[in-house]
Parts: sequence; C-alpha cells; structure tokens
Amino acid sequence: MTVLVDLILGVVTSIGGFVEVGSISTAAQAGSEFGFQLLWAIAAATIMVAMLAEMSGRLAAVSRRSIAAAVRERFGIHFQYIPLGAELLIDVLLLAAEVGGAAIAVKLLTGIGFQWWILPIGLLVWLVLWCCGFSLIEYGLGLLGLVTLSFVVSAWWLKPDVSDLARALVPTLPQHDHVRYAFLAVSILGATVSPYLLNFYSSGTIEEQMTEKELWVNRVTAYMGMCFGGVVSMGVLVTSAMVLGPRHITVDSYEQAALMFVPVFHQWAVVLFALSLGIGCFGAAVEVTLNAGYAFSQALGWPWGANKPRRDATRFVAAFTLVLALGVAIAVVGFDPLRLTMIALALTVVIMPLVVLPFLVLMNDPTYVRRHTNGPIGNGLLAVITVLAALLAIVVIPLEVMGG
Amino acid sequence: MSPAVSRPCWRLSPVLVVALALTSAACARQDARLEQHKDKFESLGETTAAICEAWLGGDVSGTYTRTALEQTFMLVEQERSALAASPDTLLDPRGAALSQASERLSRLIASLAHQVQGANAAAVRQLLTDIPIRGSAGQP
Repeated sequence: MTVLVDLILGVVTSIGGFVEVGSISTAAQAGSEFGFQLLWAIAAATIMVAMLAEMSGRLAAVSRRSIAAAVRERFGIHFQYIPLGAELLIDVLLLAAEVGGAAIAVKLLTGIGFQWWILPIGLLVWLVLWCCGFSLIEYGLGLLGLVTLSFVVSAWWLKPDVSDLARALVPTLPQHDHVRYAFLAVSILGATVSPYLLNFYSSGTIEEQMTEKELWVNRVTAYMGMCFGGVVSMGVLVTSAMVLGPRHITVDSYEQAALMFVPVFHQWAVVLFALSLGIGCFGAAVEVTLNAGYAFSQALGWPWGANKPRRDATRFVAAFTLVLALGVAIAVVGFDPLRLTMIALALTVVIMPLVVLPFLVLMNDPTYVRRHTNGPIGNGLLAVITVLAALLAIVVIPLEVMGG
Repeated sequence: MSPAVSRPCWRLSPVLVVALALTSAACARQDARLEQHKDKFESLGETTAAICEAWLGGDVSGTYTRTALEQTFMLVEQERSALAASPDTLLDPRGAALSQASERLSRLIASLAHQVQGANAAAVRQLLTDIPIRGSAGQP
C-alpha cells in the first residue's frame, strides 16, 4: 500500500514539477511562431528525459550512489571538475531565470516591478530548503505544480484537430524561418533534458531510500510522470498555437504569453497563468538549488541530504546557499528573464555531452548497476543523445546569435 | 570585333557579375531585415489590441493591463532602436514608413496605458481603431 501511495505521489509530482520557465517559454514561442509543427520536438525530448530519468534512478537504487558521486568515483576528481563546473554554471543561469520567472509571475498579479520580488523569492527558496525535508519539498511543490494542468485543460477546451496534432508528431521542415525553427527545436531539447534533472533524480532516489527491489516503481514513475509532464508542455504549445498564432502574436514577454489563457479562462486567465508560471518556476528554483548542493557535495565527498539535520551537513548547506546567492545576484542585475532562459537552454545543450558520456559508461559498468546494465535501446539512446548533443553544441551558439 | 576591344569587356563581366551578386545579396538581406522588423511590430500592435480587448471585455484587471502595456511599450522601443541602428534601413522608404508607424504605435500605447489607468473604456475603444501596425488578423 505504501509503495502504491509512493508510486502515485511520484507520478503526480513528476507531472506537477515538469513545467518551469524553460518549457513554458520555449513551448509558447514555438506554438505562436510555428503552430503545432514543433510538437515532435517536445515528444522526442520527453521520451529522452523519461529514459534518462529511469536510468539515473536505476543507477542510484542499485549502486546507492548519485550520478555525481559515481562519476567522481569512476573517473576521478580531475575529470569531475569539467562536468561539475559546467553543470554549476548552468545551474546558476537556470536559477536566475527561474527566480526571474517566479518574480514576473508575482508582477503579473501585483503590477509591482519584478526586480522587487527577486530577493524575497530567493529568501523563500532558501527557507524552504532550510526548513523542509526531501519528501515535503518534492511532494509539496509537485502537488502545487498541478495547477500547470490548466495548460492541458485550455488545449482540450480549444478543441484542436486531432489529425493535425498527430501529423505534428512527425518532424517536418518549416515554410519560413528555418534558423529560428532549428533554434527553438534545440531550446525545447535543452529545456526538457536538463542535466540538473538527472543528478536531482538520482539523489532523490537515494534520499527516498529506494532499493533494487523497487526498480519497477522507479520505472513507472519515470515513464508515466515524465510522459504526462510532456503532455503539459504540449498543452502550452497547443494553446499558444491556437490563441496567439492566428493573431500573429509572437511571444517576447510573459505578459504576452499570459494572453493565451484569456479565451478559455476569462477572468481567471492571468491568475491561472501567473500561478502556473510562479509555482513552476519556484519549484524548479528549489530543485536547481538543491541539486547544486547535491552535485557540489557529492563530487567533493561531503555529507549531503535534504533529510539530514542541517548541522550535520553544513558544507552542503553552504554550497546550495552560495549557488542560490549567485543566481539571485544575476537575476537582480536585471537581465530579461526570457532572454536569460533562452541562453541557459542553449548552453545546456552545449554541456550535454559532458554529462551524458560518463553516464553511458556508468550504465554499462556492472560494478555500479550489477545485472541491471543498459540494453541496446538504452545504450542506443544515450549514444544518440551524446552524438546529437555534440553536433548541436557546435551549431547552437550560431543558432543562438541568428535565431534567438 | 578585334580581340583588343573585346578583352576589356570579357574582363569586366566577372566583376560586374560579382558586383551584381553582392548588391542583390545585400538587397535580399535588407528585405529580410525589414520583413523581420515589420513582423515584430505587427506582433506588438496585435498584442496591444489583444490586451486592451481583454480589458474591455472584463477578462483582465487594470493592473495587468497597465503592466502588459508598459512591457509592450518597452518592446516597441527596443525594436525601434534596432530598426534605427542601421541607417540603410531608414533610408529605404519602407523602413522610413515602418519607423514612423512604430513611433505612432509607441505614442498610442502610452495613451492607452493612461486611459486604462483612468478606466476610460470609451477612449480605449476609440484608440484601438487607430493602431497603426497590426497583423493580418487585425486588418479590415
């Protein structure tokens, strides 16, 4: 019974925690500019992230090590500096974007400039991490995040043509603006397959003390949670395509994106959009900060854990506090959060090979995963992601310049 | 025709071809740039209309409407700066027309924000008919 409750909570919180600043902004832009045409990118990225999450959970449940800890042990600390440094850089940028996104959500409701809300939101993130254990953080934020299902409700309400949706699941070339199309496809990939998510997922598996016997729970949670989460992202794209697309409104700000809810939710439109954006971004900010603490501590061999008394993990607390302070400092400077998000997502793709390649080795090492090594499909996927990410890493910066 | 006469023409033609190619590429770039600016202004004009229509319909609050109009105003100004950054674009009659229309859009958004603050629905409705640049959805 407990396992069943854990399973349901795991799936539900995965759905609630899926959508954040990156997925909302990329899907809204993609929908408004290219209609349903980039649905395939969300579908492909969702399948990738579900498989990666399942693998990282499997690694953690069997080896009792998170990805960062296993990479350090297997490849040594000198190798670890590169992916760790890259991941922390992305974490800081993503954190700034998430805090900025949450601040804009408050601005939408209050009319007070978003810069005023950044410090209070940063403080609130720190307080949540200081006061709450892992389960409360994960389940609490995940359940609140279910408000993002309003994107699915709006898409369903707008009655899109099912055959058009099905056709959009097959990649096609756009009629116009090929560079922008490619940039958005890469950004969708970066928004969905975030490196922080993998280490966070594996660390969470250890925090929840999942064992080898519960691998099926990990599998169901990863696949069902991520796939339903992907449906929420598709809801953003479909709503944007059906409301903003016909009016030729391209999304350059979250204020514009909020308009996509008006035909469906009327007086509740801005409130629901702000809650979806705010809770999604706040939840992601907490997760990114926590993951930075995890990655730092695991790579350097310090005690870590959101369930540990804070006095027993002081360096872990110091690590996440430092990263949070850096992220908040960048957000305070006043970068446009939407622009910052797109840059962070492009850089995410650049560092992807550094994260995925060692993971590929670990998932084939019986010392870590015993008899649960990857099959040909899992290895094929990791190899494809590594090659694809390496190729994209070469083109993503020019794409960012020309298409962003 | 003697070879001495024909040679210069023969030598000139590749230069001419390269010059024509460069000119046509520059024109194409200019056209594409103008088209991008036009699309952006149309999107912002349409956004302005959508925000105000939602306010007139009672779907969004005055607070959101003012915030969204201020943000749209900033985006219009950013785009105007980008348009003015290239003198060649402004020398083009289409670019000059776009620049004038975008200036009118800026002023109109400022007026709309002011009228929304005063809750003057009639004035907002009147101003909405004067949006100088809109997407095809807003064209009569």
